[in-house]
Amino acid sequence: MEGFTLFDTVVLIGYISLIAWIGSRFGKDQHNPEDYFLGGRKIPGWAIGLSVMATQASAITFIGAPGWGFEGGLERLVTFINVPLAMIVLILVLVPIFHRAGIYSIYELLERRFGPATRTLTALLFLIARGLATGVVLYAPALVLAVVTGWSVNLTIIIMAVLAITYTVMGGISAVIWTDVVQMFVLWLGALLSIFFLVTSLPDGWGDVFDFGAASGMFNAIDLSFDPSVTYSLWAGLFGGFFLHVAYFGTDQSQIQRVLSSPSVLDAQRSLLIGGYLLIPQMLLFLFIGVILATYYQQHGLTPPEDLNELLPRYVVSAFPSGMAGLVIAGVFAAAMSSLDSALNSLSAVTVRDFYSRYIKPNASDAHYLKASRMATIFWGLYATLFAFFAGNLGPVIEAVNQIGSWFYGALLGTFLLAIFSHRSNARGAMAGLIAGMLSVWCVSSLLDISWLYNNTVGVAVSMSVGYLVSLSAPAPSQDQLSDVMMAEAAPDMQAVLAARADNAEVIGKEARLTRRRCIGLFAWFCLMLGMLALLQGWANG
Amino acid sequence: MAEHLILSRQIDEEAAKKRLQRLGATACEPAWVSLWAAALGLPNGTPGAWLLSAQKMRRALLIVGAELPAQTTAIDTELRIESGLPPTPEALNRLWLWERMATPRHWRIQVLDSAPTSIWLPCWLGYARGRQHRLLVISGLSGEPLPMLKPIVLKGLEQAYRNGSESETKSSGVNKRREKAV
Repeated sequence: MEGFTLFDTVVLIGYISLIAWIGSRFGKDQHNPEDYFLGGRKIPGWAIGLSVMATQASAITFIGAPGWGFEGGLERLVTFINVPLAMIVLILVLVPIFHRAGIYSIYELLERRFGPATRTLTALLFLIARGLATGVVLYAPALVLAVVTGWSVNLTIIIMAVLAITYTVMGGISAVIWTDVVQMFVLWLGALLSIFFLVTSLPDGWGDVFDFGAASGMFNAIDLSFDPSVTYSLWAGLFGGFFLHVAYFGTDQSQIQRVLSSPSVLDAQRSLLIGGYLLIPQMLLFLFIGVILATYYQQHGLTPPEDLNELLPRYVVSAFPSGMAGLVIAGVFAAAMSSLDSALNSLSAVTVRDFYSRYIKPNASDAHYLKASRMATIFWGLYATLFAFFAGNLGPVIEAVNQIGSWFYGALLGTFLLAIFSHRSNARGAMAGLIAGMLSVWCVSSLLDISWLYNNTVGVAVSMSVGYLVSLSAPAPSQDQLSDVMMAEAAPDMQAVLAARADNAEVIGKEARLTRRRCIGLFAWFCLMLGMLALLQGWANG
Repeated sequence: MAEHLILSRQIDEEAAKKRLQRLGATACEPAWVSLWAAALGLPNGTPGAWLLSAQKMRRALLIVGAELPAQTTAIDTELRIESGLPPTPEALNRLWLWERMATPRHWRIQVLDSAPTSIWLPCWLGYARGRQHRLLVISGLSGEPLPMLKPIVLKGLEQAYRNGSESETKSSGVNKRREKAV
């Protein structure tokens, strides 16, 4: 047990400085303006893929998932088992509409469909929800800093907040593909090394892990109970978690921003596909580390820390060779800073675009809006900091961040689905549905004993059904209001035009629908993952 | 109407067919869409990219490069679609402001103080048939799908159909092939 040595500190500072240098060297100080745009063009596809994967391998996963696995084994994987299915919905339904609509903030789509009040309310809900979740994201590196230094976590929260806000206001480290690749490599290296050191420290190695995991039911990932109070039943994961992830990846500006900024729908699909394939194995890896840590604690007769989020950072600091611990902790910091930077940026962008430029200063200069966005960054940084002080009481950070989302996401997603699928729904219905959806989630979570994952299902179901029914009390929307959510070519006269042109255009042979194949691939991946978990569970239970 | 700069078609027919086929199209044809290109660059610097837009577009297209890839030969009989008047300088600046807000890395890049250039953007139109006919638009420069151009293209196709210019615009396709798309 070496602890965090001086050499680790040197590596930590060196790594952060190197990443900052790469970011500023390749991201800002280009003299040729083409370099600003050509950033990723000459970089191989595998590096771009890894950079997308890096955005999914956050500090929250590194810190929260092992604690989650320590507590409940693999059963919590059902929260993420639905991600491939959620990605199919995003690829088929939401992304094409968002891309075609040509919007910067997805809440603009709701304004065109339902009017300004719906846009304002949904954007406000996003700001509240994402601001709270950012508090949890801020707590994660603060906790690591507290573990490393032995300082109070409240002090480290303030230190991290000052660092994150300053860093974001100064412009952040520009998203450079290679720094993402390095970050991804370091986090996964940390995870794999943890497994190696943990397993080799056990007398029977993997045998101990599998014996302990099987004996304590930690490999029981699939719970078929229909009892809604069972938090991590397969049904809660499929029906609740599915809506959670459609909403998270599809209606949260901090996530959909990357998709809206993609040059094409296919590029946007690619990043969603990587998430769809990666998230389950990644979560499985970190939950498995939790199972191995539980075996390690049991074998060595150790008492786990009160805050399970500390488990993996503590282990890294105590067991890794000098220098390696510094590198992995630095990777966690870099990942956290990257997440905080993008969260604060999306919060300030929505504040300026959806509120400030519409209600306060509609025709200000660019410089004024830049200043306003910086002020908004500081405001949301302080808001997140206040919440970060309470984040330690919320259990594993990965669960906390998803629970917070589940309070808001169902109603938000329901409103988007209403806008897209119900051409009869109107502004009155959308507002009523949104408010009823939020209230129903609040009632259900405070009055009934059901899994928090179902909050998303309840929110979607109530907001859509109330929204539709209330819509019937007001006139149907105009064709213009429906233009973003209807195929522009669906009108009968346009069909005739297209039929005539298609008849006289060059035949290009049998269609080879890439999107369809991608979706089938994701569904097959979902089935494969579920099948493997079932096999593991079957083996563990003899 | 101002003199148009014609951008050269980088994606040939075979490449366009492959790309459109992957998107579900069963037939395709070349087209040209008129847009307005505004230069982007560092303040007082040379252009490094171009923002392509029209008054009716909600978001602009970005072409990277100091110069627009122009061709000297005139457009032949392929389908040509006009997108209307150029966006005002204020609208262009505002469009670029929101693009920069979305991608802070581009913050220092500005719309350079010159009038937008009128251009013909080469495109490929794909036609897909399911329960309904669908239109797909991909760039003739990069092959990327351009869903934001669909409203302009649909309007252009409708106009061409109404004007009875159908026989004229389809001639290039008909000359090459007589079989019907399925």
